[in-house]
Amino acid sequence: MQLSTIRKGMRVRIEQLPQGEMRSQFIRIGLMEGVTVSCLEKLPGGTIVLGLHHQEVALSDELASAILISRL
Amino acid sequence: MEPVSTQHRPHKHLRTDAIPTDPLKPKIVLVGNPNVGKSVVFNYLSGLYVDVSNFPGTTVEVSKASYLGYEVFDTPGIYGVSSFNDEERVARDIILNGDVIINIVDAVHLERDLFLTQQLIDMGKRVGVVVNMMDEARRQRISVDLELLEKELGVPVIGTVAIKRKGLEEVHELIVRASEGIQNRALHAELHRMLSTVGSQGEALLVLEGDAIVADRHGIPPADISRREELYIDRRNRVNRILQRTVSDMETGKRLSAMLGRIAVSPLFGFPLLAVILYGVYLFVGVFVAQDVVEITEGRIGKGIVEYHIKSWVARNAATTVSIDVLDAEGDVETSRDFRFPDGTKADPGQWQDLREFRDGHDIEFGFTYDNPWLVLFFGEFGAVTMTLTYLVFLLLPLVLGFYFALSVLEDSGYLPRLATLVDRALRVIGLNGRAVIPLILGFGCVTMATITTRLLGAQREKTIATTILQLAIPCSAQLGVIAALLATAGPQATLIYSAVIFSFLVAVGTIMNRSLPGKISPLLIDLPHMRLPQLNNVTKKTLYKTYFFMKEASPWFFIGALVVSILQVTGSLVRIMGALEPLLVGWLQLPREAATAFVMGLVRRDFGAAGMFHLDLSAFQTVAALVTLTLFVPCVASLMVMLKERGVREGMVIWIGSLILALTVGGLVSQILI
Repeated sequence: MQLSTIRKGMRVRIEQLPQGEMRSQFIRIGLMEGVTVSCLEKLPGGTIVLGLHHQEVALSDELASAILISRL
Repeated sequence: MEPVSTQHRPHKHLRTDAIPTDPLKPKIVLVGNPNVGKSVVFNYLSGLYVDVSNFPGTTVEVSKASYLGYEVFDTPGIYGVSSFNDEERVARDIILNGDVIINIVDAVHLERDLFLTQQLIDMGKRVGVVVNMMDEARRQRISVDLELLEKELGVPVIGTVAIKRKGLEEVHELIVRASEGIQNRALHAELHRMLSTVGSQGEALLVLEGDAIVADRHGIPPADISRREELYIDRRNRVNRILQRTVSDMETGKRLSAMLGRIAVSPLFGFPLLAVILYGVYLFVGVFVAQDVVEITEGRIGKGIVEYHIKSWVARNAATTVSIDVLDAEGDVETSRDFRFPDGTKADPGQWQDLREFRDGHDIEFGFTYDNPWLVLFFGEFGAVTMTLTYLVFLLLPLVLGFYFALSVLEDSGYLPRLATLVDRALRVIGLNGRAVIPLILGFGCVTMATITTRLLGAQREKTIATTILQLAIPCSAQLGVIAALLATAGPQATLIYSAVIFSFLVAVGTIMNRSLPGKISPLLIDLPHMRLPQLNNVTKKTLYKTYFFMKEASPWFFIGALVVSILQVTGSLVRIMGALEPLLVGWLQLPREAATAFVMGLVRRDFGAAGMFHLDLSAFQTVAALVTLTLFVPCVASLMVMLKERGVREGMVIWIGSLILALTVGGLVSQILI
């Protein structure tokens, strides 16, 4: 399933990142395949705030829909 | 102290030579992710004198200062050394050219920050690491073993609470002790084999990581993108292993700042909180500074004292007519008198005495009309000297200080990235990313200032859209005050129509530009720093720097703008332009012919334009049509000049002429429909 379908409070595992330039940027901030993230907030319009260990990262729904996840 | 140098000096000159540097002084470069407290460390090292300049060919600002025998460079916040955007390209070149890298990392976000640290180490740079925000880590019950981290990285590490200046005294020793860290042997060997074609280990690494610009400088192709990914993943895993050994965290409890940070992006409370914050900023800047403070600085000091004295000093030896209006308690003209001094005021002390008796003890408005056109040019009604002085020092300066203060508080509190997150979706409708909210809000203060701030947007496309919207549809604070007063007279219906027209126009322009400009919106991927209480001394220093550099950059344009209008006035062109505008105003906009003055004055200062409407006795709908046109109408000359500089002459002129045509079209349509 896509990360964009996540709901607030869910914990999921990142299964697949998109290819290309954004991929390197995801890896840099620690958002990698196999990492567990939780959804801290989901805004109207789909912008997601993810909890990644001690970090909070916000990403637009467009980016989120390119990332595949599995539920834990 | 011994000067330090890298072991692998670049054999080719890097583009950083374009920033004036002293080749004899070793260069310390401060590097870190955004919001890690880099600026506090820089302020600590730099003392009072800082040189901020645009990096050549970009609009990214780089600060440089002197520290003992070193040159210290502050770089823009980055997540890694590469070429994903302007900030990264600038930081990359400064890092490549640096002798000692001081890498500032956030104790709470080591997982994110050490990626950059390890990359700097892989570049073969001499590195020292400042682990900042140790207090925040402690509060979040994260413990960082600094000694072990030093061993794992192979470079010296210190812990600080920069904002409270704790531990900063160790930075000096860190600079001296900075060293090359532990690198992957195979990678190190590979990079060294490349040294014959590529200047330094750092550049070699970037070529392997697919940096096309660096590769091009050495005339070789960059490595394939898959190689970058391989290196990134390897680095990420190494960092994760180091973290496992050095950082332990006990489960965190809910804390106030974490809760506030969460509330700020929650759908339920985020928007009300935003409204409260914006209202607070409005009360501070829009009411306190723009009205109370400016009333004193511009009205009493600027016009009443400074301008009056300059003008009467000029009049001492020059043929002048002085007209004085004495005002009653309501501010209406009670009596007027003209005093004529054919040989200057010094030659006729008797009449000067009469003038003083006439004005003393009253609120007055005054005008000095000089016979000599050159004096009119510089000291007359729109005199380039007198008007610029009052405008810049007594009106704009307090406003800009107020706005930058509010912005620095929001910036240091960690709220701005949350604000960007909150509004990202809405701004995407008009082709912008969440980050564009900052220039748009600043526009309500001063469009000129906001136009400069569009630099922080990532893509050219977004800069173009944001600049257009600012120049077209955002009324600045000077204008807002007058608009609000006029709308108060015109009634709630007029206010509603005015707001609806301007707002829908803004959305329409953004939407159309978003659809028609090539490229697409850069997606939001933003890291939310923890919220903290801003420290007054850092906020003050930031406010003063930003204000100083804005004034330095914008002042000449305000002067030139005033000079242009002054020349138009002296040569009689102003009257001709007004004459040419008349048929359009009377026939199409259905306004009285005197409105022409107000429109042309709007060129000088947008609020002059709106203020000119007070005396016209407009109906409610006429007011709406006039204000719509004025708001959309060309911005003040200074913001036009700054726009031409930021966006280039061609694009700037398209926006400018486009806004003229659109303003008259939309204003006319409103008028034709309503009246």
